[in-house]
Amino acid sequence: MSLQSAVRSPYAAVLIVAALWLVCVPLFSIPPRYLPPLPAVIADGVSVWPDLAAGFWRTLVETVLGFLAGSLLGITFGIAFAASKTLERAFFPIFVALQTVPVIAFGAIVVIWFGNTILAKVVIALYLAFFPVAVNTLRGLEQADPQRIALMKSFGASRLTLFRKLLLPTAAPNILIGMKLAVALSLAGAVVGEWFGDTVGLGVMLLQALYFELIPRVWVLIIACGALGTLLYGALALLERRFVWWRPD
Amino acid sequence: MASGLNALRSALPVAAALLALLLLWQFGTTALDVPAYILPKPAEILATALGRIGFFGGELYVTLVEAVGGFLIGSVLGILLAVAMILLPVLEVMLMPLAMVINAVPSIAFVPLVLLWFGLGMSSKIAIGALAVVFVVLLNLLSGLKRPEAESINLLRSFGASRLGILWRLQLPAGMPALVTGLRVGLARSTIAVIVAEMMGAYSGIGQVIYQATAQVDSLTVWAAVFVASLGSLALYGVLVALDRKLVWWR
Repeated sequence: MSLQSAVRSPYAAVLIVAALWLVCVPLFSIPPRYLPPLPAVIADGVSVWPDLAAGFWRTLVETVLGFLAGSLLGITFGIAFAASKTLERAFFPIFVALQTVPVIAFGAIVVIWFGNTILAKVVIALYLAFFPVAVNTLRGLEQADPQRIALMKSFGASRLTLFRKLLLPTAAPNILIGMKLAVALSLAGAVVGEWFGDTVGLGVMLLQALYFELIPRVWVLIIACGALGTLLYGALALLERRFVWWRPD
Repeated sequence: MASGLNALRSALPVAAALLALLLLWQFGTTALDVPAYILPKPAEILATALGRIGFFGGELYVTLVEAVGGFLIGSVLGILLAVAMILLPVLEVMLMPLAMVINAVPSIAFVPLVLLWFGLGMSSKIAIGALAVVFVVLLNLLSGLKRPEAESINLLRSFGASRLGILWRLQLPAGMPALVTGLRVGLARSTIAVIVAEMMGAYSGIGQVIYQATAQVDSLTVWAAVFVASLGSLALYGVLVALDRKLVWWR
């Protein structure tokens, strides 16, 4: 069992996969068209290091700005829905339906609106982050025990106190679930937004690598995207452990 | 009858809200004289979609076939892998690091790779759709299969149940809700992955239509294509929800 839990640790997983990559490519003589050897990928990454770092930073900024704005907006809407049954009944089903449509397609419209600016990518990331956060915030707020609400009200708690002391703490774990879904979507939105024409960013480099059929470069970018996604997810998980260590009962 | 009335009562506010939004959109754009390249009127979008229904229908058909194909392949692979890992724990130890690392990368980052491997045709889209699904289904089902406690497994075993018997009678039913969650998330992901892959390179499909129309700043076509794509994926989602009710009827 300890072996299984060791394997499930993310650091070990990365090391194991890197070791497998290092060993298996020469061992089974996998053609570079499918999987270039790890040293070749690392060498390619080093050779474009300035571009890679600039692209990583740009995509990170787009993702984080869009994600934060989208989460704030999503939490606000979630609270508004929880506060007003009429709003919820009218708009929440539309939100749930919108979640299932390929929202990324709206990215094209955003690019038409804002041009090839960083703002366009931020808005796409915002838009993608918004729905899961709004939906999960509402679900979390609705989990609060009605008896506890009644109890606090009977002691004369104001709506604000009720919200701060009971509703928000109950909803926080759910809000974080929504935010974890949202951060991955924001990253995808930022990368895809860059395809519609830009000069800096991981998405731009992906498109260039495709056009020039640079397979090692594609792998460099896959690793970079994975690192960026893991970094953001890890930051959220850290926040969760630090500030939202309780679970709703 | 009562349930029909309830359904009507919950559908009414939604319909009213939708209608209000559409009217606001239609008359707001008219009143403020918003140019069509920024925000076309809903009536124009609908007219464009209906006027070229053969074109949009054909492109949507390609996208849906790719999305469903990828979804089916990815789900079957995910289910088989999860069952194999439950039956042979050594497989889990061997494959889980790989699954975790691949799952950490946004699946759209693999789009250039599948395009270079499988070409611009449908097979590359099916491959990316399957990739977007397989790990969600695998990880969800695996956690579901592990839910029955060791005590109940041992109890069944003491009555002489085989490994397969335990899987079939205890673990699979317990894992069903988690599987359905995985399938739902997976379907949405595969549709998105397919459309994104079509944007990056394809001969046909709704994603390619959107990409080309964006490059030509043909706003009406973009909106009509997004509208058609949304209808398509809503329909897929509806089918899945209906299947889900049939599959997990005991809940």
